[in-house]
Amino acid sequence: MNAAPVLLGYAGAVGVLAPRLLLRSAWPYRAPALAVASWLALSASFTVTVALAAYQLAAPTEHLHADLIGLLHSCGLTTGTGAPDPTVATRLAVVPPALVVLLVLGFFVLEVLRGRRTRSRHRKVLDLVGHRSARLGATVLDHELPAAYCLPGHRPRIVVSAGALRLLSAGQLDAVLAHERAHIAGRHHLALAAGMAFAKTFGPLPLARHGRQQTAVLLEMIADDRALRRQPREVLAAAMYDMAAGAAPAGAFAVGGPSALIRLRRLLTPQRRPHAALRGSVAVAAAAVPLIPLFLGCVHGIS
Amino acid sequence: MRRLGELEAEIMDRLWRWRRPATVREIVDDINKQRPLAYTTVNTVATILYNKGWLLRGKQGRAWVYSPIRTREQYSAALMEEALGASEDRPAALAHFVQQMSPEEVGALREALATADRQDGP
Repeated sequence: MNAAPVLLGYAGAVGVLAPRLLLRSAWPYRAPALAVASWLALSASFTVTVALAAYQLAAPTEHLHADLIGLLHSCGLTTGTGAPDPTVATRLAVVPPALVVLLVLGFFVLEVLRGRRTRSRHRKVLDLVGHRSARLGATVLDHELPAAYCLPGHRPRIVVSAGALRLLSAGQLDAVLAHERAHIAGRHHLALAAGMAFAKTFGPLPLARHGRQQTAVLLEMIADDRALRRQPREVLAAAMYDMAAGAAPAGAFAVGGPSALIRLRRLLTPQRRPHAALRGSVAVAAAAVPLIPLFLGCVHGIS
Repeated sequence: MRRLGELEAEIMDRLWRWRRPATVREIVDDINKQRPLAYTTVNTVATILYNKGWLLRGKQGRAWVYSPIRTREQYSAALMEEALGASEDRPAALAHFVQQMSPEEVGALREALATADRQDGP
């Protein structure tokens, strides 16, 4: 039996139903790191599923059985059966699934390189124009608009504008710097690049669309939580508002979106982390979900 | 020797602060107030900055006179624009603390803060 229908059904569940479920759950904003891992695991699972389904559809039927024995063999699920001799057709059947995986990986590498190029260009100017402050561990930029950002990755930089230094209290500044340090230490740009690569490959798929947006918001929440280890929530919330109000353009055009509002509300209504049992089962599910398609592909071959 | 970037920054910093064209000799003399540095080194780095498009130069007698092409403020503004820019894929490269928001969105933030204050208060 061909496992393609089962795999495609599973792809539908992961690509359409799972993101709806995650969006409606309350726990992701309370355990943002786990939620990022879940979105990435779902994306990996979807990629593997589509690749396996493509393989099943591409493999010629008369060779399918031998293929699946081969697949099982490579899964280590059969004993005694020797690996079948691959024919030209079976070899060609590897091309579509390889393309699916290579597309996602290729977009990821492209995204990482593009970000690195942008940052390296930015950093070269920044190092000549800004003032390094050893006390802040940041580069100060002479500009009256309040802003703080970071260049993650290789040779990272944290940047604060002179306007932000004037605007923020010592505690607020400390919170903002801790937030930016968390982005750098957590290598958040790689998770963003992964979300971006998946979104570029699978475009309008709900998992791709929501995954990318949610990953961005959740990474900000992770950084917010790191800042909360050093400063009280009111201080971080006030810093967020002051920076947003100070940098708001005069015209009524929205650039940002509601992510800052979601973060602020989350800060102001503290919620406990989800129960350990929930966190544990989500972690197990996130680890298992990329492996399920392999299991489906293997098992449905024998019956 | 210090890294090239640091020397470049030292030279640019002086030219921006002085707000006038200067010769390599003037720059070397100023740096030498703090530490010894060879004239040829500064001359080389100034040429590099000229080739990179950071400095203009013209002959004054037998010496080159250097001046910044753009002000420090102009470069800062360009960096800020890039960092806070509206581009879709910018967040992946430069993670900034809060995105730019419309006045309506800032109003919603203010409301959320005010509500929290009232709940905390007596």
